[in-house]
Amino acid sequence: MVTTAGLIGAEAPSRDLPPSKGLKSGALGLLASLVIGVASTAPAYSLAASLGFVTAAVGLLAPSVMVLAFVPMLFIAAAYFYLNRVDPDCGTTFTWVTRAVGPKTGWIAGWGILVTDLVVMPSLGQIAGQYTFLLFGANGLANNRFWVGFLGVVWIIVMTAICVIGIELSARTQVLLLGAEIVILAIFAAVALTKVYASHVVGSLHPTLGWLNPFHISSTGALAGAILTAVFIYWGWDTAVTVNEEAKDTKRTPGVAAVLSTLVLVGIYVVVSIAAQAFHGAGFLTANSNDVLNALGRDVFGNGWDKFLIVAVLSSASASTQTTILPAARSALSMSVHKAIPLRFGAIHPRYLTPAYATVWFGALSIVWFIGLSIISNEVLLDSILALGFGIAFYYAMTGYACVIYYRRLLLRSVKNFVFVGLAPLVGALILTWAFVDSIFVYSNPANAAGQQVWFRFVRFNVHFLGIHLYASGLGPPLIIGLGLLIVGLPLMLVWMIGHREFFRHTAEHADSLHNQAPPLTPGAAAPPD
Amino acid sequence: MAGDIVLGYDGTDGARSALGVAVALARAFDARLSIVFGYEPNPMGGETSDYQGRLKQLGEGFVAAAAAEAREIDPSVAVEPLVVGLRPVDALIEMATERAARLIVVGSMGEIPILGAILGSVPHKLLHRSRIPVLVVPHPN
Repeated sequence: MVTTAGLIGAEAPSRDLPPSKGLKSGALGLLASLVIGVASTAPAYSLAASLGFVTAAVGLLAPSVMVLAFVPMLFIAAAYFYLNRVDPDCGTTFTWVTRAVGPKTGWIAGWGILVTDLVVMPSLGQIAGQYTFLLFGANGLANNRFWVGFLGVVWIIVMTAICVIGIELSARTQVLLLGAEIVILAIFAAVALTKVYASHVVGSLHPTLGWLNPFHISSTGALAGAILTAVFIYWGWDTAVTVNEEAKDTKRTPGVAAVLSTLVLVGIYVVVSIAAQAFHGAGFLTANSNDVLNALGRDVFGNGWDKFLIVAVLSSASASTQTTILPAARSALSMSVHKAIPLRFGAIHPRYLTPAYATVWFGALSIVWFIGLSIISNEVLLDSILALGFGIAFYYAMTGYACVIYYRRLLLRSVKNFVFVGLAPLVGALILTWAFVDSIFVYSNPANAAGQQVWFRFVRFNVHFLGIHLYASGLGPPLIIGLGLLIVGLPLMLVWMIGHREFFRHTAEHADSLHNQAPPLTPGAAAPPD
Repeated sequence: MAGDIVLGYDGTDGARSALGVAVALARAFDARLSIVFGYEPNPMGGETSDYQGRLKQLGEGFVAAAAAEAREIDPSVAVEPLVVGLRPVDALIEMATERAARLIVVGSMGEIPILGAILGSVPHKLLHRSRIPVLVVPHPN
């Protein structure tokens, strides 16, 4: 064995050795955090995939939901921010929940992340396939379920390969792509609103402040469904922002990138949803929920120019695919490092240096899932997005609770602790729990999903209980997908527990300080064959 | 130690042939040989900590094997294995600058230039960015 005295850890060589370079990387750090935070949420893709479904739930109050849904995200981001201090650089909901509550709950939280990443893939494949055909004017193919599915599968294969090989866009290219996406959305909103005021667009409406008032939403069921959908459009913001800020630039006041990306995101979603529904009304968005930005783009921009909007959606979807596959593979790697799933999932490709085994598995499962869903469901997009809301709400809520539980002994030490470490994560988690539970009731009635497809017809009940009316005649696909995949984790965990007790011997811990890193969850973890 | 020879090493065939040349040069200059493995996860992927741990583990294996091989080739050469949490090019430049190195030695990607273009070739970037002389050792085939 040779000397390892010179081994330098991940954080050891500080980035600012030469002063000029330090300044430059600091400035890039903020911009990079901002870009990563916004790009991870993929505004153009998120709007294309979900705007029609939000208006389906709440009509013209969609902009108010865009604002309202951000509240739980903001609160959960506080949980990410503080839990991030526990593990060096960052960790995952999986390790945090394991520490705070215990290994079984932690395992299920990790499973929640994996299936949530899986559930978004059909939506990404669908949008990518559809908008690629639209880009080339093949409108017939864009509405053909088989060909959209085919191109969507090709897309997933290509994106998985990119993640295996480890091709990365340079920071500058990412800034350019994201900049273009935001500029195109802004121009879209500006042109739409100008036309609404300057000329007579059929079915157009003048925006009113009432659109931003969530108290006008008629039923709590509609509100819960809309929030579950809208939670999806902000998905990815919190992790990317908090993680990268911690890791890259510790000197800058934490939160600058978070605040900036917040303003950018909420701004985009509110302005674009206002412009979109002002142009043709909310009914048009609902009717075209499968390709809402394309349908609007044609009328707002006219022929030719609308292609820019399609390109923005495609580039946004590619960023989103990347920020889904990479974290999914890393979550699996993390779980394997801590011996919660087979060691092989932590294998790193020796040439490409990526978690190739987990990545290929995830890509393959995504394709199977996408094809299966396309065959049995007419409303792949809707079912995926509503089901996704269940998954996101589930593991974000777990993160919020984990923060409160982990830091429970520190909450009463100061007002700041109480508000930011305790109250905010708790309220965020409670809002998401409420949206989760209420949506179960809502979507247990298939008539409430726009697809209106009925699965599990044998499930029938009609109960009045404590003033709540529970009714089901069969169940809707979003509920079965969203809850079903989460529940499948339970037997899988039990199977893994047989003969693999090591991970499950962890006991819950708690923090004595907000500033100390915890010792590694699994010291000296074994290496899988690479 | 001033005047080091810094070798970029990632366990590939190209890196292995560069190792032979780097050992010979270190001997000729009577310089220490620093064997560097650099890694930095794509920040787009979030959740970096366990992945970084695994990359570090992998890199430690690489540089330890390379250091052993260097000693086998020439036991008189002093070897310093380094695993650095920076992108490969940044790691090489950083370590070379810190050591006021004489030379950075890397292996070439091999015979498929397009692959280098897609993956981002370390020798290519080094040639443009390094202020320290760079030696690119051809791929064995």
